[in-house]
Amino acid sequence: MHKKILSMLFTSLLVGLVLADDSKEVYPFEDVVQEERFLSLLNELRCPKCQGSNLSGSNAPIAIDLKREVYRLVKLGKTEKEVKNYLVDRYGNFIVYDPPFETDTYALWLAPLLLFLVAMSVILFRRFSDKQ
Amino acid sequence: MKKILNLLPLISFIVLVVVLYSFLTKENDQLESVLVDKSVPEFTLPDLENPEIKISKTSINKLPALINVWATWCVACKVEHPFLMQLKKESVLTVYGLNYKDNRSKAIKLLETDGNPFELSIFDKEGKLAIDLGVYGAPETFFVDKKGRIRERHVGVLTTKVWKEKFEKFLIEDSDA
Repeated sequence: MHKKILSMLFTSLLVGLVLADDSKEVYPFEDVVQEERFLSLLNELRCPKCQGSNLSGSNAPIAIDLKREVYRLVKLGKTEKEVKNYLVDRYGNFIVYDPPFETDTYALWLAPLLLFLVAMSVILFRRFSDKQ
Repeated sequence: MKKILNLLPLISFIVLVVVLYSFLTKENDQLESVLVDKSVPEFTLPDLENPEIKISKTSINKLPALINVWATWCVACKVEHPFLMQLKKESVLTVYGLNYKDNRSKAIKLLETDGNPFELSIFDKEGKLAIDLGVYGAPETFFVDKKGRIRERHVGVLTTKVWKEKFEKFLIEDSDA
């Protein structure tokens, strides 16, 4: 019984929270492909001000402006790549979550591989020396 | 050999802590501008005080100059305002104002009461030019050299210290050439 009341309370709280979020802007599309492109771009572009979050997860003023800009570009029929390039030309590689493989991003791309190799060699070496 | 190997996790843990800690304390809110060494982007926007007057890239012609992105809603902009006034008073270099997503009458009023350090004030209501400049927060300041190229960008309050460390060298370079 207690559990039921508790879960009901919790659900109504959640519903209230969702309803209270009036910050959502509406971006209408007639083309489903464009809408999907828009939504995936918002997930793959980083908010330059808040840094830890993507455009779709941020309501910082600059994120809202950039969403509007992405919306405008997608509506114009720009491809995903064109929109990304447009923003990289202004905000740098920082704005994309998959930066290109360039001199200043070598460390970023190679570090995981390097760590993996180090870890593997340690494990293998241990196994080998345990057997002896 | 075995001993060193057993210590390896500890050693790598310490290295990791040191590396991560150094990133934590580093000032990381400064994104490097991709516009460095590029020309000021093309634009056409109204003048702040006289909406009928259109300002474009060619209006920014008293070079070298600073372009200062500001707004009345930006508290840090108030902090750097006296420094901009000082640049004007001492005729160090021209400063162009980019009024960013602001209320026109409030902005005009502030310049009347606190003083106007700007040669021209561009009124960018929607933040169009700001996006082309890669602006992500006010205040931001750009140095434009004699040839109209952007050489440096600073995000945050412009102080004497920032001026000396980041901008002054470009002014000296321009007057030498």
